[in-house]
Amino acid sequence: MTEFFRQSLSITVKDLRLEMRSKEALNASLSFALVILLLFSFAFDPSSEHTREISGGLLWLVFAFAGVLVLNRSFARELPNDCLEALVASPVSGAALFLGKALANFILLMALELLCLPVFGIFYNVNWTAQFWNLLLVLALATWGLTVIGTTFSALTVNLRLRELMLPVLVYPMMIPALMAAMELTTHLIAGQPLSADLWLWLRLLIGFDIIFTALALALIEVVLVS
Amino acid sequence: MDERNLTYMFYGFLSAWVILAGYVVTLAAREGRINRQIENLRRMIEGKESSKL
Amino acid sequence: MGTKILYVLGALAAVLLVRNLYVILLGLPDEKDQGAIYRIIFFHLPAFFTAALCYLTALISSVVYLVRKSQRADDLALSATEVGLAFAAVNLVTGMIWARIIWGIWWTWDARLTWALITWLIYAGYLMLRRAIDDPSERAKNAAVLCIFAFASVLITWKSIDWWRTQHPGAVLSIRGAEGGLDPAMESMIYFNWLALLLLCIVLVAVRMRQERVQREIDALRRHAHAL
Repeated sequence: MTEFFRQSLSITVKDLRLEMRSKEALNASLSFALVILLLFSFAFDPSSEHTREISGGLLWLVFAFAGVLVLNRSFARELPNDCLEALVASPVSGAALFLGKALANFILLMALELLCLPVFGIFYNVNWTAQFWNLLLVLALATWGLTVIGTTFSALTVNLRLRELMLPVLVYPMMIPALMAAMELTTHLIAGQPLSADLWLWLRLLIGFDIIFTALALALIEVVLVS
Repeated sequence: MDERNLTYMFYGFLSAWVILAGYVVTLAAREGRINRQIENLRRMIEGKESSKL
Repeated sequence: MGTKILYVLGALAAVLLVRNLYVILLGLPDEKDQGAIYRIIFFHLPAFFTAALCYLTALISSVVYLVRKSQRADDLALSATEVGLAFAAVNLVTGMIWARIIWGIWWTWDARLTWALITWLIYAGYLMLRRAIDDPSERAKNAAVLCIFAFASVLITWKSIDWWRTQHPGAVLSIRGAEGGLDPAMESMIYFNWLALLLLCIVLVAVRMRQERVQREIDALRRHAHAL
């Protein structure tokens, strides 16, 4: 068991190191996220009270759009020089490979989100520090949900010519429950409300989503990777 | 109850039938294409095999 | 399934559909609140039941494919999904036409409507993925995995959208309300028409499955022709 986690961790470290050297996915997704934040200011009046009410939704749309850029690269990065085949052929199990990659994506997405939050707070006059630790919990849970779905589908579509087109089409409808819960929770937390019983319902949904899809992904990823 | 009520009922039934009929048409088109392809292939293979003998 | 059985089932479905149509239009009276338009429910609900059954069939055959690698299971998963999408489209469109009269709008972001639309998009994505993969065994395998994910997501979405929409008062307009005091004759008609649509569905799925089998035969013949 410890062997399994050690292998996952070495995959995570490998992916993060690769990303830190090139920074291609992170740079692209971060600038993309900023552009969307800017575009939203034209669609909605950023200073109005009404925009405050939908701020959670806006924020998660930005994360979802920018996040898919990172997720898209996750398995595609291994294609040149047949690295993916080497990884699959290596003694690392499919589940360990998946967990390692998911963890790396998770860390990258969390970094992206934490960089976007202050910018969002400044431009949209939102006090995101009001319930910071609860917000961090929601960010982590929802991001893990997006990451698991995204990483699995990144593996599913890695060999396609139309990879960049297929991934968003498949991934966004699947992510809807997690995105809904995250939007609802974030909107309330940004407004400074504590986690009430109503919000616990959404938190439970997020946890359930994470558990169900993590289990499904770990069980099925071996089938996906071995061809 | 305005008179659109009855018209829209017919639209509803019509749309249900049109969608199903549309699907059946695509099925039939595919059936025709597949049959043509398999006919052509069989003929081609027979032709090649007889020319070999 | 033999061609003869398919013809018999198809004929049976056609006879039943015509008979139902006759009873629906001429035998049953108008509903007192909704007038004639309520008759759409005789297609709306059975189409939904049929589509749901198709999705379930696709899930089960996808699991069977992953366990047994049986080609027929993959054919069934594809065929059931495709036919299910057609019936789901009937469900959505008839519902919209009904809503135009009863609610005055084509679409409302009510829980059930939103869910039905998302489900449709998810399964349409399944068909798109299949089209994008060329290698047959790779296609079957990846599609089966996607189908399992899709079903799980559809179940979770169903529950969560209910919470989401019911948290916004005013948007909770439900079709179920109209069904509460349904006349027994009308209720049995729903089941009768479901039977008819189900027969039709079985015929369509069987035809689609046979097409997949023949398509594989064609591919094999092509390879054979190349080898000659």
